[in-house]
Amino acid sequence: MQGWLCCGAVLSNVDDNLITKAGPNRILARAQRDGNTLVTLCAGCYNVLKRTDLHARQLSSTQQAINLFNEETFNGGVDVVHFLEVLRDRIGFDKIEKAVKVPLKRAPVGAYYGCLLLRPFGEMKFDDPNRPSILENLLTRLGCEPIDYPARTDCCGSYLSVGSPEDIQPLSQSIISSARASGAKLLAVSCPLCKYNLEAGQAAQNSNRPLPIVYFTQLLGLALGIESKELELDAQQTQAILENQTTINSVNRK
Amino acid sequence: MGVFVCHCGLNIAGMVNVEELVANAGKQTDVVFAVDHKYLCSEPGQTLIKDSIRQQHLDAVVVAACSPAMHETTFKNLTQLAGLNRYNCEVSNIREQNSWVHDSKDQATAKAQRLISQAIEKVKLNEPLQPITVPVTRQVLVIGGGIAGIRAALDVANAGIQVYLVEKSGSIGGRMAQLSETFPTLDCSTCILGPLMAEVYRHPKIKLLRLARVEEVKGYIGNYKVKVRQEPQYVHEAKCNACGECAKVCPAEVPNEFDLGLTWRKAIYTPFAQAVPPAYVLDARNCLGLLPQACGECQEACDKFGTSCIDLDAWPRVHELDVGAIIVTTGYDLYDATKLTEYGFGLFPDVMTSLEFERMLSASGPTNGEIKRPSDGRTPREIVFIQCAGQREPETALPYCSKICCMYTARHAMMFHHKIPDGQAYVFYMDIRAGGKGYEEFVKRCQEEKGLLYLRGRVSKVYEENGKLIVKGVDTLSGKLVQVIADLVILAVGMIPSVETHQLASTIKASLDPNGFFSEAHPKLRPLESPTAGIFLAGAGQAPKDIPETVAQASGAASKTLGLLANPTLEREPTVAQAVGEQCSGCGICIPLCPYGALSLNAQTKTVEVSEALCEGCGTCIASCPSSALTLRNLTDDQLIAMIEATVQ
Amino acid sequence: MTVESSSFEPKIVGLLCKWCSYAGADLAGTSRLKYPANITTLRVNCSGRVDPAIVLKALTLGADGVFIGGCHPGDCHYTNGNMKTLRRFKLLQKLLDQFGIERERVRLEWVSASEGEKYARAVRGMTEELRRLGPLNWKMETPALA
Repeated sequence: MQGWLCCGAVLSNVDDNLITKAGPNRILARAQRDGNTLVTLCAGCYNVLKRTDLHARQLSSTQQAINLFNEETFNGGVDVVHFLEVLRDRIGFDKIEKAVKVPLKRAPVGAYYGCLLLRPFGEMKFDDPNRPSILENLLTRLGCEPIDYPARTDCCGSYLSVGSPEDIQPLSQSIISSARASGAKLLAVSCPLCKYNLEAGQAAQNSNRPLPIVYFTQLLGLALGIESKELELDAQQTQAILENQTTINSVNRK
Repeated sequence: MGVFVCHCGLNIAGMVNVEELVANAGKQTDVVFAVDHKYLCSEPGQTLIKDSIRQQHLDAVVVAACSPAMHETTFKNLTQLAGLNRYNCEVSNIREQNSWVHDSKDQATAKAQRLISQAIEKVKLNEPLQPITVPVTRQVLVIGGGIAGIRAALDVANAGIQVYLVEKSGSIGGRMAQLSETFPTLDCSTCILGPLMAEVYRHPKIKLLRLARVEEVKGYIGNYKVKVRQEPQYVHEAKCNACGECAKVCPAEVPNEFDLGLTWRKAIYTPFAQAVPPAYVLDARNCLGLLPQACGECQEACDKFGTSCIDLDAWPRVHELDVGAIIVTTGYDLYDATKLTEYGFGLFPDVMTSLEFERMLSASGPTNGEIKRPSDGRTPREIVFIQCAGQREPETALPYCSKICCMYTARHAMMFHHKIPDGQAYVFYMDIRAGGKGYEEFVKRCQEEKGLLYLRGRVSKVYEENGKLIVKGVDTLSGKLVQVIADLVILAVGMIPSVETHQLASTIKASLDPNGFFSEAHPKLRPLESPTAGIFLAGAGQAPKDIPETVAQASGAASKTLGLLANPTLEREPTVAQAVGEQCSGCGICIPLCPYGALSLNAQTKTVEVSEALCEGCGTCIASCPSSALTLRNLTDDQLIAMIEATVQ
Repeated sequence: MTVESSSFEPKIVGLLCKWCSYAGADLAGTSRLKYPANITTLRVNCSGRVDPAIVLKALTLGADGVFIGGCHPGDCHYTNGNMKTLRRFKLLQKLLDQFGIERERVRLEWVSASEGEKYARAVRGMTEELRRLGPLNWKMETPALA
């Protein structure tokens, strides 16, 4: 997308300061010029942009104020999709499965959704807010063995970890311990902030064998035959994925 | 006619020149007598009107006074008493909408003049109508055999009126029969319900139709023609002695609905031990086959050891009933807890609904009253109760409160401690609603005596770990996140209207509220009547409530029904629509506009006909008719035009 | 504010439904609220009774404006008579446009039995508007509608 800007992360969802909404509205207005579908990779961007579009359709006085401020008018109408939806709906998991060159050796991967992909359910309608399965479905097709663990829809702490790390790191640490307890050897995420938090939480504990955190797209790339170096996967991460592991407490999803 | 102008003390006379009104009225054609009085509604005032009618030989009366909403009935009754028809009287509002709202005596008097002229024009064209009398069938239909239906049926039958009690399942008793105890007295539910069920069965004036549903309702208040379809009585109700030999040999086993699937029953079964009627039921859907007959073991066993009461060739039967009133007592079902994905009901066997737990507590239930974990049968030590499960949540589940959960949860927690004294119960709540008599004391007693831990906060997630349930919640009073490692989790799920309510509502033409419960005519002042005349409501089918309220409503509905049937005929307001046949072109525009279905097209004449009994007199059809083929009695278009003309003088 | 200093006082015919708006108007009375005496009301059972033809007839008989009062949607005593009134009112407005009659002359208000203040305010508002618009002068000698 040409002329992209920062979506503002969760700050843009706040209602009492309209300036935070200028950014996402501009993004959507520009996207609309090129077409009516916008694909995001990051859960945070997905959440902000999808909800901004929904609110813009309301034609409220707030929207009018935002349009007056921005040089570009936007009144909703962009279909904001997450890359996972593209993979599932526009390409199809079947096709992806066929294209897999390097099955990922039943790697025990924990899918981490966090909260922004799923909530608020009324607006996101991405997957079941408590028992989502889209990421596990993809991982299964790539040859992984997705591990179900209770904390996979818990919040990582978002940007609050930057300001108050001691208070927020326990959140990501409990996610890691939950995943570990269920037998996951690595976590697949779809948001750079989640990745940062989950890694930082472990770093603060001086964990000597931290649970690797990778993007689901890196796993996709690996399964499709792309070199791990090109995917910027380090040795530890690649090992976690491809080394033959015995799985414990896994749940095979459809 | 005569015109009577009221001073109403100074309320009218203070802002209106009453003498002028009297003088002007007397000058109008058709007015032979005009007089004023300080308080026309008083005894002397009324006597004045009555005497004037007689002495002055008046044929119509216009009373200019307060709003008709106040005394119209009084003056109309008076007119009737004096020998005229009540529609020979019209009331003109020169107080609430005149003297009280204007501040110029000239303007108020001029307006009062117009208002009186308006009333004169109307009364001139009024027809002397007599109330419409419809006969009343002195029989009553009660739909639903729970405690509400039972109470209502008994009350009506005890007054000597024949009652038909229709119940969709094999036994009356409803939800109350599934309970172990009732709050706040901790009475054994079956013990207090049983005698009432027996009374219903024995009552000479109650005909119980079990395994039956209302299929069709035609007619109107006082005169309903109802078709009730009863499932084939494979087991003869009167002959069966409940020996149970049939069930012993039946090969088909299905989950038992009474125990919410926690136990099994045969395809031929008794709903529960104290079922009324006591006769067994053959569940045709789960029987191995009746057409053609695949098994027949039950019939053989019954012939050999029993009373030979099984007939596998039975047919359904349609009962045609004539009733004057219908009481709807269809009760409730529970919200589908599988939708509450955060709690894991349906996924984790040790997460149960409150009604399932109720069955478990019951001595006649799946575990004979012992509390056991469904997963491994062990005795739970740590139990979590989650109140408001899927309720008070407008965004994702039910928006309303089910009223009884705080109470039964306290009871459940207390019973848990009774049976497992070294256990610990945790109750996650938002509020404690204990408004009934003795309720607050009961909850306090439960909390204090048994050491229950009440945590004010919600549960965000329940998941399984190492055979235990991890319950993640919060205690807002201490501001701390709470995690309980529980053996058993009980969800207090919400009440929803019985699943067949929707279908029944359209069959009987009763309206439902936005949540699917039967709506009442007025939430404050008429909670027991449906807006559809002749249909009364009681119990949880109208809104979530507890047993005392249900019983009170049932008796109330019965009382209203008896009031309806007390007279041999019913009087309806005659100011209804009237069809002027010759002008009707048969276009049918009016027919779908009537909310009461009072209009129909005569197949032979192809003109519209009005059912006087169904018509409520709103006048919408009259306004829609392009041919002026419909008129509203005593508010015809001619009258409206004459009144308007008088208004714009 | 009246633009002209003429002593023109509009004649307004009010058609109020018995269950809600008439009761609301009565409440304005019991609350002793004040509004101009230009409006004279008729009580109908339901605003659904109001045939647009009657409204036009009122205007041809000398009324400068017609005020129709009904129950709030969802509250109609006869279930949905007021919704039919609403539909007819919309069509009536279009008809008025074609006649060249100002839309302000026919007004539909939802007034509940507890909205005495709303009724008084609506009447004041309409009276002011009609004072400004002036007389309709559509009085016909022969009936416009059979």
